[in-house]
Amino acid sequence: MDSEDELNAAFWKALESNRLQTAPVSVDVPLISNQDVWMNIALIKQYHENMPRSQAQKLALHALQRLDLAHIAYKRNPALTTEERFCVYLLRACMVQNAMIIIDRPFKIIPQLRNSSFIFQTLKKVDDFYATCHIYDYKWMADKYGDL
Amino acid sequence: MDVLENIGRLEVRTAKSLTDTISFAFQVIFRMFQYRNYNSAMRMVLINQIYFTSVQILPVFLVVSIVLGSLLIGIVFQLLKQLGLTDYFGNVLMGLIVTELSPLFTVLFITLRSASAINTEMAVMKVTGEMKTLEMFRIDVINYLLIPRIINGIVSLVLLSSLFAIVSMFSGILFSRIIFGISMDGYINILLNSANLFDLTIAMVKCVALGFFITLIPIRFGLRASSEFTSIPISVSGGMVSVFTAIIIIEVLSFLTKLL
Repeated sequence: MDSEDELNAAFWKALESNRLQTAPVSVDVPLISNQDVWMNIALIKQYHENMPRSQAQKLALHALQRLDLAHIAYKRNPALTTEERFCVYLLRACMVQNAMIIIDRPFKIIPQLRNSSFIFQTLKKVDDFYATCHIYDYKWMADKYGDL
Repeated sequence: MDVLENIGRLEVRTAKSLTDTISFAFQVIFRMFQYRNYNSAMRMVLINQIYFTSVQILPVFLVVSIVLGSLLIGIVFQLLKQLGLTDYFGNVLMGLIVTELSPLFTVLFITLRSASAINTEMAVMKVTGEMKTLEMFRIDVINYLLIPRIINGIVSLVLLSSLFAIVSMFSGILFSRIIFGISMDGYINILLNSANLFDLTIAMVKCVALGFFITLIPIRFGLRASSEFTSIPISVSGGMVSVFTAIIIIEVLSFLTKLL
């Protein structure tokens, strides 16, 4: 897609298509700022599946460990780097049951990235956490995604 | 004509705001009694809120209660002695300090400390798009954010108000001995004889109503904030004025109930 309006419309349409499974990863869907990283990730399981706090915390810490980010578990949103924030967005989305992850302009979340290898490596590390993953971006960003 | 139009418009706006608040209150009360809303996430928020509002505040609240409670008891007892109304000190202690001043002092304390914080927190969450995050992940704002805060408001107000009353009654032991020369047994006896179940029930209901509205109103005003940061102070000041209006209305209603 070429224009921002078209992209936004496609992103929101995809989100609305299956409210039970869709899980957004976007700068427009920020982390809850008065909660630690692990709480943001655990919230989905605690709310929708009534998972006890200790179990949800363990799951969130395990998910962070998979991305070598256990050290940020007790940090809050402003203290995160853009890469860390992207990973937390992704792990939060992974907590949705049979998650259909929709990533909205990943290079808007991590502007300094030169190509998509970091994004795909991260997705690979947690590929058992989600059912499908769709990336929405501008046509003119195609070069950054290589041969994909 | 302009003046009349403005008065009319103000009346309509006030009436609409009042009916909106009342219908919202009923919606929240209905949700409060639905067991399935009490999930792990909501319980975690509730525990944190009770900790921030009732536990963290305790040292300051205790010191202020001891100072203010003793001061009030001392002044009232001294006045009663000067007016020759020593026989009524039990009624004054129970009827004025325990059932009237304790809830009022506590509600003012909690409003200044927590209600303003809740209003700001809600407005900031709205402005930064965090409310949208909850919506995107199908997390109901009323169940997750509102109900724990409102239950916390009720619990905190009832507990802290009771604490203030207990501290005042303990101060009363000291002052009744100094001013009236009454022993501790005599003091407790007078206090128990003066206790009126109807008054205590009204005081308890008043605490519940105050706790409910001093959290509901700031939340409502916080949620009204737009997407601009400049809407935060507007929302907070509007919320605080409405909270103080609600406190006055509840006080007047409880007084009228006692008269009837």
